[in-house]
Amino acid sequence: MARIAGVNIPTHKRVEIALTYIHGIGQTKAKEICTKVGIPDDRRVNDMTDDEVIRIREVIDNDYMVEGELRREVAMNIKRLMDLGCYKGLRHRKGLPVRGQRTHTNARTRKGKARPIAGKKKA
Amino acid sequence: MARSVWKGPFVDGFMLKKAEAAHQSGRSKSVIKIWSRRSTILPQFVGLTFGVYNGRKFIPVLVTENMIGHKFGEFAPSRTYYGHQADKKAKRA
Repeated sequence: MARIAGVNIPTHKRVEIALTYIHGIGQTKAKEICTKVGIPDDRRVNDMTDDEVIRIREVIDNDYMVEGELRREVAMNIKRLMDLGCYKGLRHRKGLPVRGQRTHTNARTRKGKARPIAGKKKA
Repeated sequence: MARSVWKGPFVDGFMLKKAEAAHQSGRSKSVIKIWSRRSTILPQFVGLTFGVYNGRKFIPVLVTENMIGHKFGEFAPSRTYYGHQADKKAKRA
């Protein structure tokens, strides 16, 4: 069991993969961290020494923005756009795609599940 | 792709003149009408009110510090959307 950057406790996996369970760390950053700390590719989380765990924690604390802090920053950026009243902010407010995608069809990720149109006649 | 840094921000030249004139005339609160939606908002525009044309009328935009780096057009929506007919019918019924 290893707790790194809050609540993340992935065990039995390779360190490089396990680190990607942290919000804000993908494969690239996980690899970076491993080289910085000097952990070989095939090291599993449960085989790590306490010292290595501490060093990983230090590296993440110092050099990366993860989890809550990152989420807060993203939310703040979106809030800034919404308060500003610019086009991107309006799109965020309405829950529509922000980057000029089509909304005639698709855009379901932003719009959510399709709602049936009330009163539409069936062909 | 983002614009090259060496080019600097894009602004239509007359915007600078208009802004300077507004500053010199004692920060008059009058709206400066502009059609140049494509111009970047620069630090020297802060505090001025621009009427940004949206194709039909001039939308007053008071420029604040946060707006620097955005384009004028972003603050004057050019499309109106009132929702779908069917949605409204459903609500009335």
